[in-house]
Amino acid sequence: MALAILLFSACNSGIKDTSNTGKATDTLQTGSTVKTVEAVSPTKGIVTEYLNLKNALTRDDDKNAALAGNSLVKALVLVDKSSMPTEQAKVFADLSDDAKEHAEHIGSNAGNIKHQREHFETLSGEIYDLVKAGNNTGQKLYYDNCRMYNDGKGGNWISETKQIQNPYLGKDMLTCGVVKEELN
Amino acid sequence: MFFLLIIILVVIQFFRPALNKSKQAYPNDISRVYPLPDKVQGVLRTSCYDCHSNSTTYPWYAHIQPVGWWLAAHIKEGKEELNFNEFGNYSRRRQQSTLKAIASSIKDRAMPLDSYTLIHEKAKLSANDKELVLQWIEQTKDILSKKK
Repeated sequence: MALAILLFSACNSGIKDTSNTGKATDTLQTGSTVKTVEAVSPTKGIVTEYLNLKNALTRDDDKNAALAGNSLVKALVLVDKSSMPTEQAKVFADLSDDAKEHAEHIGSNAGNIKHQREHFETLSGEIYDLVKAGNNTGQKLYYDNCRMYNDGKGGNWISETKQIQNPYLGKDMLTCGVVKEELN
Repeated sequence: MFFLLIIILVVIQFFRPALNKSKQAYPNDISRVYPLPDKVQGVLRTSCYDCHSNSTTYPWYAHIQPVGWWLAAHIKEGKEELNFNEFGNYSRRRQQSTLKAIASSIKDRAMPLDSYTLIHEKAKLSANDKELVLQWIEQTKDILSKKK
């Protein structure tokens, strides 16, 4: 339980603007009950930081992308693996060291958004696999694709909004892309 | 003032960083886990292994401080990113990402570092070297993606 609280407070230390299902956060902040925290999916913190990162990239904001990258590293370290469903725990074990590596690189590459986006691409696939392997997180997510990224090789990302906001091309082509799959 | 500088220079020579040299065999070396043609291995050894393996071929000035410290820091950082001697220990996903990162840093000419090739003329990658390594990376990525 202590870990869950720790995890949760760590997750909320990042940039604010994403959480759609902010209920649990509010409850924790007003300090009324901790029960709600338990109901939150173990990957919630990871997903929240990932979305912060994604949103910074859609704004071509390398500095906040770096901050979110660092918060994502923390979220990956602090995540409560024991509360993951078996299948998800297996997937997490397989990808956590690599995902951490990508998040670290994004964190240390403010000023080089191209490089941040390269790491973001692989990271997105990993977060997708992680979310897919888990039970319902209670948050509606979309798996999007932009075919133009990387000289036509394309790139995927996860979004909390149905409306396309492209983290690879940013302001240049913010609405380029399609929803490939709806998650949860 | 000048005198003091000399004294400092002399004193720091006694603080030598541990050398990155090891003669042990590595069961998880990349050549043990994936097919690695001799030519490609040759390129990797000349251009990458000084900072991305457990044994560095040191130039003479590496034994003079503070150059030695500076090199030691570089090598430490390089090995954290990628150590060919330990490649087999990485998770499948990290292997995949690392190969991708090698390819993109070669294409972007981010690696080998300019500060390195400035002195190590031989470490510069020719067009042919690049082609060889990039091809090998594609093949290895294929093998990896079939392995689950």
